[in-house]
Amino acid sequence: MTLFQEYILPRLLQWVLVIVIGVTVTFLIPRLSPVNPVEQAIGRATAFQTLSPEATIAMRESLLDLYGLEGSLWGQYVNFWKRILRGDLGPSFTSFPMMVNDMIRNAIGWTIGLLTTTVLIAWLLGLVLGGLAGYFQERWWSKLLENSLITIYPVPYYIVAFVLLMILAFYFPIFPLVGGARGTPNFSWGYISSLIEHSFLPAVSIILGATAFRFIMAKALAMTEVSSDYVQYAEMAALPKRKILFSYVIRNTMLPQVTDLGLSLGSIFEGALITEVVFGYPGIGYALYVAINSADYNMIMGVTLLSIIGIATASLLVDLTYPLFDPRVRYR
Amino acid sequence: MKKLNFTLVFLVVMSLLIAACGPGGAPAADSSASAGGDAEPAAAPAAAVDSQLPVDVPRQEVFVADQIFRYSVVDNFNFWINGPHTPHRHALFMETLWIRDQETGERINDVASSSPMYNDDFTTLDVDLRDNIYWSDGVQFTADDLVYTVETLKSNPDLNASGWSTQLNQFLDSVEKTGDFSVRFNLNGPNPRFHGLFESRWNGIYMMPKHVFEEVEDPATFAFNPPVTLGVYTVTETDPNGFWELLTRRDDWERTPAGIIIGNPGPKYVLTIFYGDSAKKAIAMSRGELDVYFDVDFEAFETTLDTTSTARSWYTEFPWAYPNEVSTRQFLFNTESDPIYANKDVRWALALALDIVDLQTSYIGGVAKVTPMPIPPTASLAAIYLDPMEDWLQNLEIEIEPGVMYNPYDPTVPDQIAAWAEGEGFSVPGTPKEVFGTGWWKYDLDVAERLLLKNGFSRDGSGNWLKPDGEPWKMDLQSPPDENDAFRMANAAADMWGDFGIDVNLQGLERSVWSQNGYVGQFEVSTPWTSFALASGDAWTRLRALHPDFYVPNGEDYRSKGGGSSARINDPKLGELIDTMQNLDPDSAENFAVTEEFLKYWVENMYDITVISFKKFVTWDERYWTGFPTSENPSYMPLYWFQGGKFAFQSLKPVGE
Repeated sequence: MTLFQEYILPRLLQWVLVIVIGVTVTFLIPRLSPVNPVEQAIGRATAFQTLSPEATIAMRESLLDLYGLEGSLWGQYVNFWKRILRGDLGPSFTSFPMMVNDMIRNAIGWTIGLLTTTVLIAWLLGLVLGGLAGYFQERWWSKLLENSLITIYPVPYYIVAFVLLMILAFYFPIFPLVGGARGTPNFSWGYISSLIEHSFLPAVSIILGATAFRFIMAKALAMTEVSSDYVQYAEMAALPKRKILFSYVIRNTMLPQVTDLGLSLGSIFEGALITEVVFGYPGIGYALYVAINSADYNMIMGVTLLSIIGIATASLLVDLTYPLFDPRVRYR
Repeated sequence: MKKLNFTLVFLVVMSLLIAACGPGGAPAADSSASAGGDAEPAAAPAAAVDSQLPVDVPRQEVFVADQIFRYSVVDNFNFWINGPHTPHRHALFMETLWIRDQETGERINDVASSSPMYNDDFTTLDVDLRDNIYWSDGVQFTADDLVYTVETLKSNPDLNASGWSTQLNQFLDSVEKTGDFSVRFNLNGPNPRFHGLFESRWNGIYMMPKHVFEEVEDPATFAFNPPVTLGVYTVTETDPNGFWELLTRRDDWERTPAGIIIGNPGPKYVLTIFYGDSAKKAIAMSRGELDVYFDVDFEAFETTLDTTSTARSWYTEFPWAYPNEVSTRQFLFNTESDPIYANKDVRWALALALDIVDLQTSYIGGVAKVTPMPIPPTASLAAIYLDPMEDWLQNLEIEIEPGVMYNPYDPTVPDQIAAWAEGEGFSVPGTPKEVFGTGWWKYDLDVAERLLLKNGFSRDGSGNWLKPDGEPWKMDLQSPPDENDAFRMANAAADMWGDFGIDVNLQGLERSVWSQNGYVGQFEVSTPWTSFALASGDAWTRLRALHPDFYVPNGEDYRSKGGGSSARINDPKLGELIDTMQNLDPDSAENFAVTEEFLKYWVENMYDITVISFKKFVTWDERYWTGFPTSENPSYMPLYWFQGGKFAFQSLKPVGE
């Protein structure tokens, strides 16, 4: 009861509050933008053709009705919450009559697949390589790793992505240029292998930078641990190096790493905008990019809502699982 | 230590395994499809095997077209509602009554077998239909389909794509079948342009298969998937993510309008695919995975020429690009933003402060045609307007000081651009006027200055212009960078007007923000695009939006009443001319004469500074397919994403055939 009241309940309330505030801000921000979705829709409709003045007026009225943009801001806000609680994010303005729920459903799988894999790989690689490099600081491979990854880390992501694209899709045209897979979805090996093939370049581009970041962090933490008394004592006690490395050094560097992993996994729902645009990958980031450019309020709100819930929930889970990793929290 | 080494080896092996997954299952890229691709026709079958296209069809049987954008509405082919995307699709499988080709200016009978036949007072329209075309499910197309289409659109306001439902209700009383293959439209009143709803520049009212839609409860929510088509192709496979779509030629392609007109089967498959930005399109073409793209920036086009020896655009050499899409680019003034822009002398001064030859060559690369009015100098429109108006332009005079007249027109502009091109080592494929357009306004800073001084402007100690109220002249010039030529044009103007002494603030705005500013009048000078005339030469349809009846003051959306004047022009004279055109036969000499009067009045007032016409680097690779329209064979427009683009597809033949 004490644990629930003193530790879990405040965090649950904080979680709810973060989501309510986040959703409200998300509702307001697109409406403060100078870009009006109805005007944009008419602009798209008239980009190639001439509408009579009467048809233009009729189209505006029809779109206001279809998009649910009639009525006061407060009325729209109330309707918005009603829809959210029903799990209905409304129609997309840019892609009418597609529903935002369907569009997110179509895109989210790609993003979760790509980012979960890359975050986990980068996290594991960064943690282990950083731990190794921190423990064996004087080895040649440790220095090679460090120099290589420190060189990669400051390179802006879009440069890394573009260089990979140019090398492996243009000069050596090995990988496909666009899409998430070949053909339409099925459970054949051909389709699954094409999934891997299509996600390879986007994944490598993310893993490179993310591994470098986590390597630097893990190495710094490991170096601190290496100089600690208990590691020194273990060394003097001639414990196996593997045991010292994994049980004493890396384990003790994991607390901030677990936080980082949790938040990184939570932010998956934001998508990987630049990755998806550069590699033509059909994820949620690409969908958000299109939505922002065309004032697709409902789609923006759908993706942002997902992102807010994802990050808030990840923070909550990290908080709730801290006692499992850190006895100090557990004892407190 | 050994265990640590093992760990390292394990990590390396894992990395290699991950890497091995990359090309796993993917065929190795064909060397002929790499940079600098192979021009030999014999290479095609080999490349087919190794293609990385997303579908399993032989490469030599599929024509791969740039899908200009990613479809966000997938698996919905109900093109009568607002939303589902029509580019390419309406070319490949949707039909209307007539197509107006932008290259030739000719009307092509699509589903119709006759031209529009009006009665004397334009209150009825008769149309004869082809009696030899069929839907893709084998049902014959008849007058019943047309009548059903019109009545369904008319009675269902949600079927209002392109405003068709509204406009049918506005102009049409009834439609009746006068035979199995003939129809009469009874109009609400005299209307010589009613057929325009069925005559495609971009699109025309798409025919509905009655036998399909009459079984549907609500046509507005019907996805029409898979579509029953009247065109040559049917939809075979679609990417759920909207990046590509595979279409297959009908076995009975000879029973479709394009099949009958061209008499050539065209490719067995058409794959439309969206690769992304210009660079990726150029890469895709170099890999042999794209046969045509609709446009790219100049740098990507140059890359294509360098990396794909079999690629070409409209011209094989300079100026390469297709120059005859019916649209023009201009500097447009918001006449209600600052009073100075309501003054025609100011607008004339700004025109005379532009060096058109420098703009067209240094900034645009010499690849677009020059025009002094919102009429593109295509062969057909030049013949109707620009050529007959040449004498008037050469004799045009403006008053630069009380009693002092000045002739601003310079007919030698195309010759000057041709001289520049030859100096650059290019040969000019035609006469300077054919290739570079018309004359334009002189670059005359002295006269520009006199015009401003006449209106109370002055210069400060640094030579910068002060407005009549004594404030420094700061100009807000807005342009969207993603619209390449518009933005380059804006840069030229910013440089030239800046040199002239105006403090120009050029804002490159994201497209939606730029558009929104245009709608509500938050700009002083902008770089939109338009053509007053359609490919047919008729201008009323476009000009009507400039009628003072639809004028909306600055601050409100200029389209609030349905109008089209973002410049906030409220000129009764324009309204009179538009009213005069309204009841004239759109193809008649009288209509063209009134339009000419309108253009003269527009130019005299310099309501906008029209600069160049559209050009598109619509570029195709002849590695697998030939027969696409070219400057040597200008049979049809190469604008394949328009509904009339069907003829370009239909003209294709495999290399070596």
